Amino acid sequence: MKRRIPLILVLVLGIFAAIAFVVPHPSVRGVDDVMRNDVLRIIGAFSLVLGVGSIIRHHYMKIKRKAEHWPYSWVTLSTLVVSAILGLFGGIDPNAPGVLFRAGGVGQFLSNFHMQTLYDNIMVPLAATMFALLAFFMASAAYRAFRARNLEATLLLVAAFVLMLGAVPLGRMLIKPLPAFAEWILTVPNTAAKRGIMFGVGLGTIATSLKIILGIERGWLGGGGS
Amino acid sequence: MNVAADPWVWVAAILTLAVFSFLYRENPFYRFAEHLFVGVSNGYAITFYFHRILMPYLIEPVSHGRDLWLIAIAMVGMLYFTRFIPKVSWLVRIPIAVVLGYSSGAYIPRAIDAQILQQLRATIVTRSSFATTLAGPGWQLGVWSIIIALGVIATVTYFFFSAEQKGILKPISRIGIIFIMVGFGASFGYTVMARISLFIGRLQFLLGDWLGLLR
Amino acid sequence: MTPQTGREKRGFWDRLLLVDRRWLYVVIWLVVMVPMLFPFDIKPEAMPPVRKLFEYIDSMPEDKSLVISVDYTPDTRPELHPMAIAALRHGFATKRRVGVLCLNTVMSLGLAEGALRQVSEEFNSRATTREDSIINGEDYVFWGWSYPIITVLLGMGERITRVFPVDYYGHRTESLPIMASLKNYDDMGIVVCIAGSSIPLSWVNYAHTQFGCQIGCGITAVSAADFYPYLNSGQFTGMLAGMKGAAEYEELVSEKMVELGYEWDLPRKGTEAMSSQTAAHLAIMAFLIIGNIAFFITRRRKQ
Repeated sequence: MKRRIPLILVLVLGIFAAIAFVVPHPSVRGVDDVMRNDVLRIIGAFSLVLGVGSIIRHHYMKIKRKAEHWPYSWVTLSTLVVSAILGLFGGIDPNAPGVLFRAGGVGQFLSNFHMQTLYDNIMVPLAATMFALLAFFMASAAYRAFRARNLEATLLLVAAFVLMLGAVPLGRMLIKPLPAFAEWILTVPNTAAKRGIMFGVGLGTIATSLKIILGIERGWLGGGGS
Repeated sequence: MNVAADPWVWVAAILTLAVFSFLYRENPFYRFAEHLFVGVSNGYAITFYFHRILMPYLIEPVSHGRDLWLIAIAMVGMLYFTRFIPKVSWLVRIPIAVVLGYSSGAYIPRAIDAQILQQLRATIVTRSSFATTLAGPGWQLGVWSIIIALGVIATVTYFFFSAEQKGILKPISRIGIIFIMVGFGASFGYTVMARISLFIGRLQFLLGDWLGLLR
Repeated sequence: MTPQTGREKRGFWDRLLLVDRRWLYVVIWLVVMVPMLFPFDIKPEAMPPVRKLFEYIDSMPEDKSLVISVDYTPDTRPELHPMAIAALRHGFATKRRVGVLCLNTVMSLGLAEGALRQVSEEFNSRATTREDSIINGEDYVFWGWSYPIITVLLGMGERITRVFPVDYYGHRTESLPIMASLKNYDDMGIVVCIAGSSIPLSWVNYAHTQFGCQIGCGITAVSAADFYPYLNSGQFTGMLAGMKGAAEYEELVSEKMVELGYEWDLPRKGTEAMSSQTAAHLAIMAFLIIGNIAFFITRRRKQ
C-alpha cells in the first residue's frame, strides 16, 4: 500500500494530464482546470514545508549536537523566524501594511520598513555577492587549469577567445567583422552541436517522465516503507 | 564622493564586503552572512507562499464558507509534514505523486512537439532554407543550414554508443567532436562574460550606490 | 645560456604557475574597478537576435500587450535587471499595455517590483498629463507570482484572472481596467521571459507550442549558447544574451525613446558596465595565455 497508492496516483494523473492536452471536451477541460488551479496549487504550496522543514531540522540538530560552527545556526533560525513574522504579519505591500505595522502595531515606529526593505538590502546583496565570487574562481581556474593540450582543447580555447573578444566593443574596434564571426559561431556550429546534444537530453527527459508515469522509475519514492 | 546616508545601504554594503572577505579565506563574517541569507530567504518564501497562494486560494474561500472541499486538498498537502514523522513518513509520497504525475503527463506531449519535432523541422534543409531574409542572402543561409544539418548528424553520431565507432562512423564522430568543442568554447566564452558581469554588478553598487563615486 | 640562467628562468615560470590565487583576485578586482571609475566611450552595436526582439516588440499591433516574465533571482541581477528595466521603458515609451509576472520563483518578486517602481517613477516624475503618466492597473499590471508553473502557463491561455485572482499588491485583478483587454495569450503580442535558468524553455513548451504565443528571452550568458537552437527554429522570436545583450537592447531602446521625444538621460547599467567588461575579458584572456605558456615551458623543461 505504501508504494502502490502513490504509483497508482502517478499513473492515473499522468495519463489524465496527457489526455487533457488532446481532448477538448468540456468535462475533461473542467476537471483539468480544477486540477491545475486548485489541487496542484494548494498541494504544491505545502511543498515549501519540505524545504523549510529540512533547514530547521538541520540547524536544530547542529545546535543540539554542538556541531562545528553551531552558533551560526542560531543566526539562520532566528532570522528565519523574524523575517517570516515580519512578512506574515507585516504584509507585502508597504501601502497596505499588515497588523504589525498598522497604527497600534509594534512595528509602526519602524517607518519605511517592510519585506521589500529586507529583500533589497539583505537578500539581494548577499545572493548577488555570493555569485560574484564565481568571477574570481573562474579567473583562477582559467589561469591554473585550462590547458590547450590537444586539438579539441585548442578548438575550445580558440572559440572561447573569439566569443570573449567579439562580445565586447573592443573586438569590433580591433577587427571589424569579429562580432559577426562570434555570432556566426553561435548561430551555426554551436547551434548544430547544442541541437545534437539537446535531442539526447530531450528524449531522455521524455523517457524519464514516461518511466515515472508507468512506475518503472521509482527513485522519487525514496527509501523506507515497502 | 557622495557617500550614502541611508543606513540600509550601509547594511547592504557591509554584507557585500562580508561575503567578499571569503576571497581572502573563510572567516566568521562570511559564515554569518551565509547563514543570514538562508534564514531571511526562507522567511521571505514563507511570506509569499502564505499571502499569495494559501490566502487567496484556500483560506479566503474556505473562511467565507465557499469551496469547503478545498479543506480535503489542503489535508493532502499537509501530508508533506509527515516527512518529519518517521512512522508515517511514507505518506509524503502522496502529495508528491499528485504533483509529479500530473506534471509528467502534461510535459510529455508538449515536449515531444517543442523539443523534438520542431527542432527536427528546423534541422531539415528545404527550399525555404535558401530564401533571402533580413538575416542575409539566400545562398548563404542555405549553406549555413546545410552545415547545421551535418553538424547535428555528426554530433548525434558522436553520442551513438550502440555500435563500435569504426568505419564510416569514426570520421563522422570525429567531425562531431569538433562541433561539440566549438559549442563548448562558445559556452565557456559566454560564461566568462556572465561571471564577470556579476562582479561588475556588485562593484557598481559599492562604488556607486554606497560610496557615490559613479555617476 | 648558462645553467645558472636556465635555473633562474625555470624558477620564474614555476613561480608564475604557483602564484597565490589572491594575486589573481587583486588583478580581477582592479581591471573591473579602474574602467568603472574612468570609463571609455562605448556605443554597443545590436546583433541580430537583439535587433529581432526589439523590432518585434516595436512593430507588433497596437492592441497587443507586452508581457514580461521576470524569472531571475538576485544572483543574476547584474546581467538581467538592465534587460527588465529596458523592456519596461520600451513598453511604456511606445504606449503598450504591460503585464509583469514571476513564473519561476518567489525570489524574483522583489526584483520585478523594484524594476516597475523605478521605471514608472522615471515616467511619472516627468509627466505633465495623464497621457504621459504610467498608472498601475491601467497601463500596467503586476500579477505577482503563483505556483506551480504548469498551472500558470496553461491557465494564462484561458483566463488570467483565474490564475491570478489578486495582483502583487493584493488588488482583485478582475477590478483592474487593464484586464479587460488582457484576458489571455490572444491579447499578448509577445512574452519576454528574462531568466537565469532554463525557464524560457517552459514558455516555449507550453505557451508557444500549445497557444502559439510569441516568446522572446533575456538570459544569463551562461546559458545563452544553449538557447541558440531555439532561436534558429523560430521558437524564440529574439534573444538578449547576458550583459552584452542588455547593453545592445538598452542602446536600441534609448534611440527609440529619443525618436519619440523622451530625451532623458537615464542610467543604463548594461552599457555602463561595458568598459569593465572589456578590460576583464582581456585579463582573463591574458590569464589563459600566460597560464598556458608557463605550463608548456615548465613541462618541456621537466621532460
